[in-house]
Amino acid sequence: MTNQTNLRSRSGFGQELDRITLERARRGDMDACAAIYRRFGSACFNLALRILGERAAAEDVVQEVFLKMINTLSGFRGDAPFGVWLKRLTANATIDALRAGQRFADEDPEAFFASIASRAIDADARVDAWSLLMRLPPRARAVLVLHELEGYTHKELSELFGQSESYSKSILARALKRLGDPGQPVVTREGELATCASNL
Amino acid sequence: MREQPLNDEPLHPVLAKLPVFTADAELWPRILAEHAKRQPARFRYRWIAMASAAAVVAGAILMLPRNGTEPTPLDGQRESQALENEWRALAPAPSRPTADIARLYMIDAALQSAYDRGAHADELQPLWQQRNEALRGLILTARTDTVTRI
Repeated sequence: MTNQTNLRSRSGFGQELDRITLERARRGDMDACAAIYRRFGSACFNLALRILGERAAAEDVVQEVFLKMINTLSGFRGDAPFGVWLKRLTANATIDALRAGQRFADEDPEAFFASIASRAIDADARVDAWSLLMRLPPRARAVLVLHELEGYTHKELSELFGQSESYSKSILARALKRLGDPGQPVVTREGELATCASNL
Repeated sequence: MREQPLNDEPLHPVLAKLPVFTADAELWPRILAEHAKRQPARFRYRWIAMASAAAVVAGAILMLPRNGTEPTPLDGQRESQALENEWRALAPAPSRPTADIARLYMIDAALQSAYDRGAHADELQPLWQQRNEALRGLILTARTDTVTRI
C-alpha cells in the first residue's frame, strides 16, 4: 500500500551510499557504478518519468545522468550527500529534455489554468493518480514533482526555470488545486479506490 | 535542497498514490554500451595497451619451462584478439548496440577495471574467457545472418 511516508522514502534519493562503493566508482570501477545504478536508478527513472510522461524519454534521461555521473564522479567532493547530487543531475537533465523537446514552447501554465478554471473536475470521476498528474502541463508537473516529492525550494525552482519565486508558487498552488480536493476519492493505478482524507 | 523529511505539510493524496515504475532491464547494459562508445579510442582500449605491456612480462615468464598447462591471461588475450578480428571481418558495425554487443562492452569495462586495479591472473583469466565466449556468440550470429542474407 502506498502512503506518504513510503512515497517519500521510495523516491530513493535519500538512500545512503557507502563510502567504499563511492570510492570504487570514483576510480572508474564499473561494478561499483552498477551498484549505484541498482540503488538509485529507479529514483532517477521515476523522477524523469513523472515530469516527462514518456518512458523512452525518461530512460534517455537516466542514460545521460549515469553517463555524466561516471564521467564526473571523480570531481564529486561530497559536500552534499551523493543522493542529493544525483537528484540535481537528474532534475537538470529532465528540464533540459523538456526544453530540447520543445515541450515548454507551446505551453503557458497561466493560460492553461485560466482556461480550466471554469471546468470543475467531475466529483464522481474515478481518475487514477497518474492520469491526474499527466493532465497537468509539463512545467506544472515539474514544479509539483520537484517541490512536493523531491524537496526543491521555490528559490531553487526559480533558478531552475529562470522565473521568479512567486511564479513557481503560483503554478504550484494551482497545480495542487487542479489535482483536486484532498477529500476527493482517488483511484490507484491498480483500480483501488481510496478516500484521500483517510490517508492523510 | 532540503533533505528528507521534506516538510511538515501532508503530501497531497494524489501524489501519495502515484505508482512507481521500473525502467527497462536492458537500460544499464545500454548505458554501459553508450559509455564504451563515447570513450575516445585511445582510452577505450587502454586496457589492451595495459594487457600488452603485461604480455611482455608474461612472455618472458612463458619462456621458462612450464610444468602445467593451465591457460594464462596472455593465452586468453591472444585468442580474444583472433576472435575479435574474425568477428569484425564478418559483421558490419551496427547502428545501435545489440544486447550481445552490450555484454561484450560490459566485459571490456570489467577487464579495464581489473587491469586498473592491478588484478591478479586468477581474476583476469575468467574475464578473458567470458570475452571469448561472447565473441564466439557474436561470430555465430554474424555467420547465421550472412547465411540468411544469401
